[in-house]
Amino acid sequence: MKRRAILAFMLDRPGVLNKVSMLIRKKMYNVDTLTVCSSRVPGISRMTITLQEDDIAKVTQVIKQLEKFTEVISAKELDTQKSYWREAAIVKLEVDREHLTAFNGRYNFEILEKKGKDVQIVQIAGSTVQIDTFLDEVGRENIIEIARTGVAAMEK
Amino acid sequence: MTGKEKLLAALKEKGIKYIFGYTGGTIMPVFDEMDKTKDFQFIMSRHEQGATFMAQGLSRASLSTDNPQLGACMATSGPGAMNLTTGVADAHMDSVPMLIVTGQVATGVIATDAFQESDVVGVMMPICKQTYMPLHADEIESTIHEAHYVATTGRGGPVLVDIPKDVQNESVSPQYRFDVKGYRPVLPGYLYHPTPDREPLDRAIKMINKSVRPLIFCGHGVINSNAGKLLQQFAEKVNIPIAFTMHGLSALPSDHPLSLGMMGMHGTVEANKAVMEADLLIAFGMRFDDRVTGKLNEYAANADVIHVEIDPSEIDKNVATSVAINADVLRTLRVLVDDPLLTYKPRRRWFKQIDEHRKVMKKELQAEIDTGVGDTGTLLMKTIVDRLSKLTKGKDLIVPDVGQHQMMAARFYSYQTENSWFSSGGAGTMGCSLPMAIGVKLARPQERVWSISGDGGFQMNIQELGTVMEHNIDIKMLLFNNGYLGMVRQWQTLFFDGRYSGTPMQNPDYGFIAQAYKIPYLKVEEVKDIAPALKKAIKQKGPILIEFVCDPTEVILPMIPSGGGFNDMIVTRPPKEKSASKKKRKVSKS
Repeated sequence: MKRRAILAFMLDRPGVLNKVSMLIRKKMYNVDTLTVCSSRVPGISRMTITLQEDDIAKVTQVIKQLEKFTEVISAKELDTQKSYWREAAIVKLEVDREHLTAFNGRYNFEILEKKGKDVQIVQIAGSTVQIDTFLDEVGRENIIEIARTGVAAMEK
Repeated sequence: MTGKEKLLAALKEKGIKYIFGYTGGTIMPVFDEMDKTKDFQFIMSRHEQGATFMAQGLSRASLSTDNPQLGACMATSGPGAMNLTTGVADAHMDSVPMLIVTGQVATGVIATDAFQESDVVGVMMPICKQTYMPLHADEIESTIHEAHYVATTGRGGPVLVDIPKDVQNESVSPQYRFDVKGYRPVLPGYLYHPTPDREPLDRAIKMINKSVRPLIFCGHGVINSNAGKLLQQFAEKVNIPIAFTMHGLSALPSDHPLSLGMMGMHGTVEANKAVMEADLLIAFGMRFDDRVTGKLNEYAANADVIHVEIDPSEIDKNVATSVAINADVLRTLRVLVDDPLLTYKPRRRWFKQIDEHRKVMKKELQAEIDTGVGDTGTLLMKTIVDRLSKLTKGKDLIVPDVGQHQMMAARFYSYQTENSWFSSGGAGTMGCSLPMAIGVKLARPQERVWSISGDGGFQMNIQELGTVMEHNIDIKMLLFNNGYLGMVRQWQTLFFDGRYSGTPMQNPDYGFIAQAYKIPYLKVEEVKDIAPALKKAIKQKGPILIEFVCDPTEVILPMIPSGGGFNDMIVTRPPKEKSASKKKRKVSKS
C-alpha cells in the first residue's frame, strides 16, 4: 500500500481535531499518523496526516471531506518526491553504550540519558524509514519503550 | 442586554417566525424571554423529534419560495437535545437547512456529569453541518448570524447552537457592538462556489451535443435552488429525457413528456433501463446514493457523466465523472439554457427505445390500480394514491412517511406543483410525515397538505396529533393501515421466503385515537368509498384522519434488490401468498 501524506491548514477552534478524527473513523480511512502544530499565522493550525492507500480516488475523497469542514482552509496531498517527511522518536533501549557507538555518523541520534548499566534513552530524528532501520539495526527486541511523534511534512 | 435577548433579536433579524420545540431546565430563560417579546409563534411538539421534523417541513417547503423561512427548533439539555438527534441526522442526510438551539448546563458545571448534562456538541458534530457553543453573551448574536449563513448557503444542513444557561442570562459587556447590517461571516475555509467555471461548461456542452442517448438526472438540488422551470426549459431545448431522484420529484410536472419518473430501487422501468442504455448522464444536484445506483461497478457502464453539484465532496464520490461542474444548479442552468451552441435533436431512436420500456408493467399496474383491491380483498395503496392524484389534479403538497406507501406516493401521484414532495430520503426516518406536514402547512398555508403514513410510521410520532389539535393545523392525514411494516414485509416476501419476523403489528383503534384528539376520522374499506372520503377531506376545514384498510401482500414494483444491479430489476409480482385467501386479516374495529 502506498504511503501518503496530506497537509491541511485549519482554524484553531475547539472541536476541529475531534471532527478530523471522527471523519477518519466514520469513513474508515487507514490513517498511520496525525500531527498537529501551530502555523506561522496565529489562530491557524497545521495538520499532517499520513495514511496507507493505493486508490487515489479515496485519497481525493479524504481531502474533499477535510475541505468540507468550515474550519479547514486548505488541504492537499504532498508529493513524496517533492517534500520532506520527518519524525522524531525517543527510545528507551536495553543496550550498552558501545553497542550504540557503532551507529554514530550513520544516524542522527543523541543519547539523552544513561539509566543504570545498560539502559539508554535515545533521541532520533529523520525519515520514517531511517528511524525504522535504526531500530531494526539496534535490535527491536532491545526496546523497552518507544515514543514516536508522527510525521511532520513540508514541501521542498 | 442579556444573551437570551441577543439570541432572540438575532433570530428575529434572520426572519424566523416559528420556533418548534420543548422547554426544560436549561432553556427556560430563553422561553421566558420569548414569551415577553411576542415575536415568535412557539409550536410545542409532544416530543423533541417532532419539532425537528416540523422545522424541516418549514424549511423544505419555504426556502425555495419568495418567503423563505429557516426551520428553527429549541430544546433543553440532556434528554431534550438527545431526542432531537434523529431529526437532525435526517436533515443532514437530506441537506435540509435547520437551526437548532439547545440549552446546556451552566459553564460552571459542564463536564461534571451534572443533571441533564450531555455532550450535545459532541453528539451533534457528525450529524450537523456546523456546531457552536458560545461561552459568552457577546458571542451569541454573531454565532446565530453565522449559523444562519452556514445552514442556508451552499449545500444546506442543520446547524446547532448549544448555549449554557448562565450564558443565556449573562449581560453583554459594556463595550459590546454588533453591526447587524454590515455583518459578513468570516469563514476562510467555507466552500461555497455557486458560479460555474467556463471550462467544464464548454466541455459539457460539447459532450451533450455529441451524445446520442443522453439522460438528465433531476436531484434535490434542482428544487433547493428553485431551478425546476429552468431544468424543464433546458430539457426541452436539447430534447433530453429526465429521470428523477426521489427528492428531485416535483421539480417539474411528473407527466411532462420528457419525464421518465423516479429512478433507482423502486424507480420506473423506463427510468432505470434508460440509465443502463444511456451514453451520457447529466446529473443536477444529486449525490448518487446507493438507492439510486444499485451495484456501483455495473452502474451506467457505457455513459459519460456530467455532474453539476454545489458540494464538491459529492463529485467523484460514488460515480466517476467525465465533467465536474461545482456550482449552484440554478446558475449553471441559466448559462446552459441561453447557450447558443446547445442544439435540439430529435433523438427518434432513443425515444423509441424508451417508449418500449414504458410499456413494461404498464398494463399490469393499471389493472391493479383499476381493481383497487389486493389478494386479501383489502385496498391497494397505489389505487388510493392514484385517486388522490386525480381528485387534487396533482396540485397538492404530499408529505409521505417512509416505507411502501412512500414509494407508492412517489410513483403514482402526478406532481404538478413545483416543490410539492416532502419526505425523509437519505435517512429514511419512519414517523417523519405527521410532524413534517405540520411544518409544510405553516410554510404554505394557502395550499392543501396531505400526510401519508403507514401504521408503523404513524405511531412513531403519533403524539404530534396533540400539536395538530392544539393549533388546529389543517393537514389531511391518510393512514394506510395494513397491519404490517409493509416495506420490510415486502423484502421478507421476496428475499426471506415469506418469514414475517418482526413485521406484523397489532394496531390501536385509530377512531378512538382521533376522537381523543378531537380530530374528525373516517375509515375506508371499500374501493367505492375511497374517492368520497378524499372529497370529504378536501371539503373539511381543519385536520382529518382517514384510515384505509390496506392489503399487506401488496408490493411496490419494479424493485432492484439492495446491492443488486439494474439487471436484477424485479418486474413480476411474487405468487399469491397462500395465507392471503385463507384468513382475512383482522383490523381494528371502530
